[in-house]
Amino acid sequence: MSKGKVAKDVMIDVFEFPHIPYWFSIRQAIGIVKKSLLGSEKCHHPMAVLVFDEKYNLLGTLSLKDILRGLEPKFLKPTTKAQVPSEDESGLSVLWDTLFDKGAKEAAEKPVSEVMVPAKFFVQPDDPITKAAYLMVHNDLALLPVLENKKKFVGLVRIREVFDELSSSILEG
Amino acid sequence: MELVHRENSQKLYIQLENIFKNKIGDKKWSVGSQIPTEEELCKIYGVSKAPVRAAILELVRQGYLMRQQGKGTFVCKRVISEGLLMHTSFKELMLDAGVGFSTKVLAQTVTMPVDDIDVKLNVPEDKHLIYLKRLMLVENEPVLLQEAYIPHHLCPKLLRDNIENNSLFELIEKKYGLKITKVKDYIEVVTPSADEIKLLGLSDCTGALLLEQNFYSGDTQIMYMRSIKKPERFRFLIEFERK
Repeated sequence: MSKGKVAKDVMIDVFEFPHIPYWFSIRQAIGIVKKSLLGSEKCHHPMAVLVFDEKYNLLGTLSLKDILRGLEPKFLKPTTKAQVPSEDESGLSVLWDTLFDKGAKEAAEKPVSEVMVPAKFFVQPDDPITKAAYLMVHNDLALLPVLENKKKFVGLVRIREVFDELSSSILEG
Repeated sequence: MELVHRENSQKLYIQLENIFKNKIGDKKWSVGSQIPTEEELCKIYGVSKAPVRAAILELVRQGYLMRQQGKGTFVCKRVISEGLLMHTSFKELMLDAGVGFSTKVLAQTVTMPVDDIDVKLNVPEDKHLIYLKRLMLVENEPVLLQEAYIPHHLCPKLLRDNIENNSLFELIEKKYGLKITKVKDYIEVVTPSADEIKLLGLSDCTGALLLEQNFYSGDTQIMYMRSIKKPERFRFLIEFERK
């Protein structure tokens, strides 16, 4: 398919994204997001922070959504549904509003490792772009790490480049 | 009144720092007096809170100002001696008495400048930094906890260097060609954090000695280092040599 393009042809540099260690609190991560993502003119899409361990191995990614989820009180977390019709629970958000000031500040002291999305899926530099697309679609990811020899973190594939490549071949066809 | 100039290439907080320093020098802000609040300073100089805060923090660190929780910020009597400037050659911070010590690397990774590290290292807020954390032990007893922040672009390969057995200064100077030309040391007694208490095996109530060091190569600051020492048993030794 698409002229044999592979992950390394479209990946972007890891330093395009802010880095933090896993022991940072959500509060510290929010500070970084505000300074490095929201307040910067660099084009970061999707908006995410990369989380590393003490030896600079990638552990996971932290998006704005993950941070908000981390601030949410426990009782609002979705429960696994049994075979019952789902109900609209958006009314429950009122509860969050009344508890926000106190609860969210407490929750912000949790380490980011508790709310990040662990880096479970990845591609190798020579993997075809379709593999990246497959993993992103099936696991609801906007960002996919590229690891060399399953170990060395060399770049990131974003959904926009994957889309751009695959959609071009449709239009050209 | 001195004002900030937005067309000036100098960062706002540095301009503010100089303005505030002059106020202290000219005794417009006298020793012991309370300076205006951050909000008031924002209004006076028509700037946002971040540079005002950064300038104040810097002056607190340099010993011009003192913050008192819930009360405000006050002008200090200066206790920093600047008369000790010498042309020196210096060595890595050592533990006294020639004891053999071992080093444990706790972290060698990349981070963004968190809290006020951007001010301490004088780098933009979105700059990637190498973060090193090492624990020095003497006869298996932890005595010194050292954290260093270095702009990543200066020596990206430092992430893979062996910093357990090699001197960090030697790597920076010899391998990366960054000649250290100036060091500023700040020493104070602090209440250690929970993490520091645990790593150094301190009891809860003791204070610990903090040495903060800013390293420069020419006009560029290349490293900010923070060393926390257990109060008993060992002394810091920083060697100066007049050339």
